[in-house]
Amino acid sequence: MDWRFRNSLILLAGLASVAFGAPPGAPPATTAERSPRAADGKPDLEGYWSNGSVTPLERPKELGNKAFFTPEEAGQYAKQELSKPEPPGPDTDTHYNLAQYGLDKSQMNIAANLRTSLITDPPDGQIPPMTPEAVQRNSDRAAARKGHEFDGPENRGLAEQCILWGNEGPPMMPVGYNSNLQIVQGPGYVAILQEMIHDVRMIPTDHSPHLPSTIRQWFGDSRGHWEGDTLVVDTTNFTERTPFHGSSENLHVVERFRRVNADTILYQFTVDDPATWARPWSAEIPMTKIKGPIFEYACHEGNYGIVNSLSGARAEERKQQVAK
Amino acid sequence: MKLLVSCLIVLAAVPAWAHHSFAAEFDVTKPVKLEGTVRKMEWINPHSWIHIDVKNPDGTVTNWMIEGGSPNSLLRRGFNKHSLEPGTQIVVEGYQAKDGASRANGRDLTFPDGRKLFIGSNPDEKAPEK
Repeated sequence: MDWRFRNSLILLAGLASVAFGAPPGAPPATTAERSPRAADGKPDLEGYWSNGSVTPLERPKELGNKAFFTPEEAGQYAKQELSKPEPPGPDTDTHYNLAQYGLDKSQMNIAANLRTSLITDPPDGQIPPMTPEAVQRNSDRAAARKGHEFDGPENRGLAEQCILWGNEGPPMMPVGYNSNLQIVQGPGYVAILQEMIHDVRMIPTDHSPHLPSTIRQWFGDSRGHWEGDTLVVDTTNFTERTPFHGSSENLHVVERFRRVNADTILYQFTVDDPATWARPWSAEIPMTKIKGPIFEYACHEGNYGIVNSLSGARAEERKQQVAK
Repeated sequence: MKLLVSCLIVLAAVPAWAHHSFAAEFDVTKPVKLEGTVRKMEWINPHSWIHIDVKNPDGTVTNWMIEGGSPNSLLRRGFNKHSLEPGTQIVVEGYQAKDGASRANGRDLTFPDGRKLFIGSNPDEKAPEK
């Protein structure tokens, strides 16, 4: 049997056996006794986790108000998503035969999920409409960028510059491949290392206040505290260079991490930004335990791609010059 | 202007699969099929690169650089630095660099007998014979 499909089938068997007694949307409350504890007595979130997911952020329109699949439907949906062939090239932006490089979805570790969208609120599973101010701001951004995309390395996206990837958040989102992270707890801190693309987010849990609003950071400023068995992380102080779905630098993110069983952390977040959306919205992603380690992803060590892209743009300009 | 526009990246728009734009780097109007001998494989991020020597019709040899997938994923599939030794014959199908250099993406990589280079080699299964 093709091993990729075998893995998928194992996964689906897992989905069927693990998941479908209790929808992840409403996991049973975990008692303090049952929740694994770290050395300091706090709930133990440590370990290697995958937040890979085949569930779309927004609910497909045709599903209307159907927030949950039945177990059978979920299994079918996951199977369909995991075995989707790569898009046909070369007209698409696909580099590779993805399966050859271990980059296709069938190789992801995903937690069981009956939800039809990652978004849990609003109930329609859709990102609330943008405010007119945000529409204008994003359109101005796009217009300013147009025609200058390849002027120089600093014009390329932060991901291409290997500075950070959008999945890292906060809020943390699934990424197409190597959607893996490691959580480490210590006195006064929780640290999250994301494999893509190598960053560690240090989250103080010592009740210290946020940084002054004049100090802005790529990942914002995260502060954590425990509410029962849940780690709650509050993040502000973002920059205008790291919009999340078009947000402003005043984005406010609240994340909640709760270990609902030995193999699963339920990760939930709420984003609020009155300059962007008329109301806050929330989503949740179950994260499944994986075998480590996290591999090093020193993204810029051999980032020939950005040089080649700029070189390609210069070649294109020369060609157009000659044609004139 | 450069500094201004650099601020305007919508992170959520990062494509799921591509670290950077295929179309910016490679030319879809220049498909290539190369048969060559591996000189070395660079296990580097964000993409692996395979260097191969390709014999031209006039007898000269050109060194081509072939862009591959992320090393993390290949490592998880059981590949290591010995999986593609120098001297191995491989066939590459892909697209040449837009600037005309001897670089290409490695869309499909096979041994001369047609077996896929990177398929069927997760730790539970036998690595491809070289």
